[in-house]
Amino acid sequence: MGQDSFTPQKRSSTGGGLPTTNNAAAGGGRSRVLAGMPRGRQIHKTFNNIKITILCGFVTILVLRGTIGVGNLGSSEADAVNQNLIEETSRILAEIRSDSDPTDPDEPPETEINPNTTYTLGPKISDWDQQRKVWLSENPEFPNFVNGKARILLVTGSPPNPCDNAIGDHYLLKAIKNKIDYCRLHGVEIVYNMAHLDKELAGYWAKLPLIRRLMLSHPEVEWIWWMDSDAFFTDMVFEIPLSKYDKYNLVVHGYPDLMFEQKSWIALNTGSFLFRNCQWSLDLLDAWAPMGPKGSIREEAGKVLTANLKGRPAFEADDQSALIYLLLSQKEMWMDKVFLENQYYLHGYWAGLVDRYEEMMEKYHPGLGDERWPFVTHFVGCKPCGSYGDYPVERCLRSMQRAFNFADNQVLKLYGFRHRGLLGPNIKRIRNETVTPLEIVDELDIRRSTHEKTETRS
Amino acid sequence: MIGKCLGAQRCRKIHRTLRRCKVTVFCFVLTVVVLRGTIGAGKFGTPEQDFVEIRDHFYFRRRAGTHRVLEEVQTTSSDNEVASDTNAETNNYNDFELNKVLVDEESDDSKLDPDKPYSLGPKISDWDKQRSEWLKENPDYPNFIGPNKPRVLLVTGSSPKPCENPVGDHYLLKSTKNKIDYCRLHGIEIFYNMALLDAEMAGFWAKLPLIRTVLLSHPDVEFLWWMDSDAMFTDMAFEIPWERYKDSNLVMHGWNERVYDQKNWIGLNTGSFLLRNGQWALDLLDAWAPMGPKGKIRDEAGKVLTRELKNRPVFEADDQSAMVYLLATQREQWGDKVYLEHAYYLHGYWGLLVDRYEVMIETYHPGLGDHRWPLVTHFVGCKPCGKLGNYPVERCLKQMDRAFNFGDNQILQIYGFTQKSLASRRVKKVRNGSRNPIEVKDVLRSLHPAFKAVKVSSS
Repeated sequence: MGQDSFTPQKRSSTGGGLPTTNNAAAGGGRSRVLAGMPRGRQIHKTFNNIKITILCGFVTILVLRGTIGVGNLGSSEADAVNQNLIEETSRILAEIRSDSDPTDPDEPPETEINPNTTYTLGPKISDWDQQRKVWLSENPEFPNFVNGKARILLVTGSPPNPCDNAIGDHYLLKAIKNKIDYCRLHGVEIVYNMAHLDKELAGYWAKLPLIRRLMLSHPEVEWIWWMDSDAFFTDMVFEIPLSKYDKYNLVVHGYPDLMFEQKSWIALNTGSFLFRNCQWSLDLLDAWAPMGPKGSIREEAGKVLTANLKGRPAFEADDQSALIYLLLSQKEMWMDKVFLENQYYLHGYWAGLVDRYEEMMEKYHPGLGDERWPFVTHFVGCKPCGSYGDYPVERCLRSMQRAFNFADNQVLKLYGFRHRGLLGPNIKRIRNETVTPLEIVDELDIRRSTHEKTETRS
Repeated sequence: MIGKCLGAQRCRKIHRTLRRCKVTVFCFVLTVVVLRGTIGAGKFGTPEQDFVEIRDHFYFRRRAGTHRVLEEVQTTSSDNEVASDTNAETNNYNDFELNKVLVDEESDDSKLDPDKPYSLGPKISDWDKQRSEWLKENPDYPNFIGPNKPRVLLVTGSSPKPCENPVGDHYLLKSTKNKIDYCRLHGIEIFYNMALLDAEMAGFWAKLPLIRTVLLSHPDVEFLWWMDSDAMFTDMAFEIPWERYKDSNLVMHGWNERVYDQKNWIGLNTGSFLLRNGQWALDLLDAWAPMGPKGKIRDEAGKVLTRELKNRPVFEADDQSAMVYLLATQREQWGDKVYLEHAYYLHGYWGLLVDRYEVMIETYHPGLGDHRWPLVTHFVGCKPCGKLGNYPVERCLKQMDRAFNFGDNQILQIYGFTQKSLASRRVKKVRNGSRNPIEVKDVLRSLHPAFKAVKVSSS
């Protein structure tokens, strides 16, 4: 009985494109039909309409719940617990990221940066070479050369807050493991910085006050090696040929023609470079810092850099462009002590390297450091700690994982394992265990192969 | 129209049937939709996935690279197909599902023989002799780097897969930085493991095959210091009293009475311990391992341990309970070379320590290592990398932050800074830079302690 009213409703809903005439007809038809029916039938019809309305409403809710969800209504106990946990973690995460300080209500407000006073990294030191020499002679048990090798301190770091997403932190962890491995094999100490030592020089500029502070606190260190958190060692055997740089104080990967002829903003890369611990370096840091202070100074400096360097997009001043600009404009003062290295990949731009790892494993061997087996693979532009990178996420993460496994294979070789593939986490045994493991250690330990090299050289 | 062909009565019958069919069809469609919304329909997906796909389609139109990627991923399983659509060509890290990408090309072809009893590796019986010969032949790699200072390798690790909890990796990173700092100050090397060497000994037992492999591959290492990833150094100045252990091969935090007399399952802690490299260690590992293999063996062993040890809850065998059981039942064989240390916190249970940090800062100073200024604060039970720990998430994470800052403060102070408070991430200068930094003698002394000194050759 109720089906009578059902049909006209359906027709009007499906025939939505043809409004007036059909509706009028249907409506007219309906009113004609209704006028002729007794009361009981009318009530019955109304009931049916309501039934169908309720049924449709019910359907809509179910479908919406299936798509979007309606909170806790009807969810099971485990779901609720899970949901609570996720909410709590997200809330804590948001709190951590906002860096809200619950304590210190009575601390005076931060003093405003006065744009008129020139920014300095610290009080000017003029006799660092002398001071350092004196300290070294008074402390012979902390020499700057150990076993014929100059003492190197690798410095890297990341922001103190969690990354915008969990993947970023995971790759920071893998990157630091990678650096720990290389440094253990080559006797290099690591400093991992997670503090903003100077709030004016935040972001990529944070390395400047850090390097200065470490140079002054570690007079026994001969070279400070800054390395970005998104750079991976991919040649575990290669050692930096420090004797090549006896007359230089700054070693950075770059190309002279890009630098002096084209004035390109990517003529060198400050993601991986070495600074000698000496007066010259302190002076360079002081000359480098002025473009860094956050705010109007950095913005204005950015405009200057974009105007003067080829290919530079418009954004605030970054340390790399500033260094190029400094070395170009004050060439006579600094360039004689700067070595632009490109014989091996002190910094290796990832895009041209990661797809060739299989080919490298087939044809070459670790220890070369150049395009045949890159020393460092640097994931410029991937920015896994942020939300958005300059490249597709999938490509970046796959490539980073491949670089990590490629390097890890070289470490695991001593223990008789390697990764199953360059992407996955699993490993497999490549050598049966023996009861005389020391023969293998003699053959495979990377520390011993590099040690022999330095001995023959000296 | 039909009515004209067949007559009024027939027509009405047909109409009625049609209407009933419509309702049936309608209900059927409804059921399918609801089921798809609740359970999903395999590769046809759920409405949520539809929603995500549509959103992605409108945001990111480029799909050129997707095909190659899809082909690579398809070889593993068809379930990945739907997920990879959401992964394709996005520049946004928040939309990405990493686990769908990190799959191996080669499959696992090793078969486990169920009848063979488990062993960590081929039995070596003359490791002490092999090692001492090697050390003689390699004087450049001595096992002692100072008169009372053995060469120590700190071994720690975590899973190669991202943590289930989104903040887990961040805390692992901080914990690693904390270990790097302590080890740099004390001349200790670090090995960070991210590989599962033996699938049978997964979970807390994974340290056993790792320790054995490391001992055999690093003969110059005198002491291996295992440390859990959820343990942090909170006393940067404390140096382990190595001479105290010159006659011991295994040093763990614990109490003799609780292990040997009470057989308490937390009478000692295997989250932070020292193991001397030698034949004794290999034998101990072989005796310790049998309760570990995943599956029936581990479950059965768990029941034995719960029965034999005091207060142990019911769960599969873990390495700590197995160690208590081993020592309690085979005391004559192992006990004389095991030192259960409780004079300082080689392992410090966090629950008793974290609330007292402010008091410690006021009253004491670093270098004590004990209840006044603990060497290690170990966040047992927090499990920041997993989804569910034994304690409330908020308390665990906040306290881990505090412990990290407590330790980091000591490092920053050396460089002239301090954290603004234990809860804050901001630092402030406590000492202005000086024109003559080498005059700040105390500072440099902390950075150049005697135990880090290089042996000066008399010439």
